[in-house]
Amino acid sequence: MNTDEIEFIYTALAECIARVGKAKTSLLLATLALDLLSQQSNADAALERILQAERLANI
Amino acid sequence: MASGDRETALTPAGTSHVPVVIAGGGPVGLSVAALLAHHGVSCLVLEADASWCEGSRAICLSRRSQEILGWVGADRPLTAKGLSWVGGRSYFRDTEVLHFEMPSEPAERFAPMVNIQQYYVEQYAHAAALRAGGVDMRWSTKLSAVRAHTSGVDVEFQSVDGHSHCVHTDWLVACDGGRSTVREQLGLQLEGTQYEGRYVIVDIEQNTRREVERLAWFDPPSNPGSTILMHRQPDNVWRIDYQVADHEDPMEAVKPENVLPRVQAHLDMIGESAPWKPLWISIYNAKCLTLPSYRHGRVLFAGDAAHLVPIFGVRGLNSGLDDAGNLAWKLALVLKGHASDTLLDSYSSERVLAARENIAYGAKSTEFMAPPHHGFALMREAALRLALVAPGVRSLINPRQTSPVEYVNSVLNQTEHGTAFAGGARPGMPAPEARLHTLQGLRHLTALFGTNFVALYFSRNQNLPRYIEQATASRSGPAALHVVRVADRGAADAGTVVDELGQAWRRYDAVQGTLYLIRPDGYVMGRWRESASAPDIDGLLKEALKERT
Repeated sequence: MNTDEIEFIYTALAECIARVGKAKTSLLLATLALDLLSQQSNADAALERILQAERLANI
Repeated sequence: MASGDRETALTPAGTSHVPVVIAGGGPVGLSVAALLAHHGVSCLVLEADASWCEGSRAICLSRRSQEILGWVGADRPLTAKGLSWVGGRSYFRDTEVLHFEMPSEPAERFAPMVNIQQYYVEQYAHAAALRAGGVDMRWSTKLSAVRAHTSGVDVEFQSVDGHSHCVHTDWLVACDGGRSTVREQLGLQLEGTQYEGRYVIVDIEQNTRREVERLAWFDPPSNPGSTILMHRQPDNVWRIDYQVADHEDPMEAVKPENVLPRVQAHLDMIGESAPWKPLWISIYNAKCLTLPSYRHGRVLFAGDAAHLVPIFGVRGLNSGLDDAGNLAWKLALVLKGHASDTLLDSYSSERVLAARENIAYGAKSTEFMAPPHHGFALMREAALRLALVAPGVRSLINPRQTSPVEYVNSVLNQTEHGTAFAGGARPGMPAPEARLHTLQGLRHLTALFGTNFVALYFSRNQNLPRYIEQATASRSGPAALHVVRVADRGAADAGTVVDELGQAWRRYDAVQGTLYLIRPDGYVMGRWRESASAPDIDGLLKEALKERT
């Protein structure tokens, strides 16, 4: 994905979060994450992503 | 009043005539004045303040702005005084997450960016305007009424002694800033968006040896939750901008007792320990606003009077100077009878297009620097964390610094025919830079621009083809065509520059016989890859300018 495309999806997701509202943000992001994780090549790769996100969230 | 000003007598109640009145003696108004003066057009400049501005205000000048200030005659003091830079760093807390560099090459004419206080730019542009002659500069002079007619504009103003005056002008150029009196007098409204997020702007004086670059911290330990920007300026001055929390009262936020501890905490964090003192404190919120048109009969708008863009990406003064560079040659040609006033419609359409592009980039930067809602705030938190481990997302943190705008579909752009170019600059794009051997030694190609139309003819043969000689012979005065042959080897002469480094031939995608027609503001107007095209240059200029024959 090039820089313009990354910027585009960043804005699209930010606007989507605003549309669903704070109460449903976690549900939105969990649904999105599960969808994307299910497209990983195997469970180990998906788990690696989950643990990385956990580490970054706890910084 | 600054020294050296020249005033012509105006009777208190009388009506005088001047070709051009410029409302506003800031950097844009003074640049328009100087550029018009170089074209032999006199003007009267009305400025409400007593002298150059207070506070550093717009401090980052792009390479393009430096070129325009070169045409003004203000580039030498500017580059001597200013601090040049090429890149910057962004930190999440205390870890670097982005290091960017703008395009730069050895021995370039101007750095990608130079930092300098706005009052110096005003001072240098003012001095250049006075040197050029024909500029009547009035400080402490408040514009009070504007009456626009089809044949000109009546402008009423109050001079420093309290007397009222009225002048009739052919053209009024409104460069009177974000709260433009001219705009208000004409009942015009800016259109667009204002953002809520506020930034405090602080200048402090402190000695430092730190490299000159743009520095940004997100959620720094010194000011948790805030965003801080730092730029060095001349005279040992730091510009510090920091984001104010949404719940803070703006009036409270700018009080020294609230500002100084935050500054001290951040200086401590980055290890700047020399004694310091505050010089100037202000507050700012991002605006993306423009007039839909910059021409209203005989009134023309430029700079902040025409558009307001967010500070992130430094597109405010830089786009104002581009307005000045675009407008001055067109207005001069109209006033000197070499073009129809419809040429000024292209000023409006080109610069409104530029403002809309600047606003689009500025809005993107603002969404990151001052997130307008929960969605952008959360995404920024995610992007900054992910940037620690995923280089692919670091571009999201890039400040999207100003760059010249392409005038897509401008009426002045000449349609390309014949053999296609594989590269180079299309009509509507700024003409590329190159270092060339001239009679005066190694010089930069862009130094040829800023006054007349320029024909760049790429050829190994000394003789110019007849169609180019005919075009130059039939044009004169402000509408003259200056022909420069760009050879790839041999010796330079009065009409020939030599591209020994091969930069010009490569950057213009030239072959034997390639011709580029460059506008006085350094934009490509037309190009023809092979001389077999033999365009009627004089004819197309006449048509484009709607010249009176």
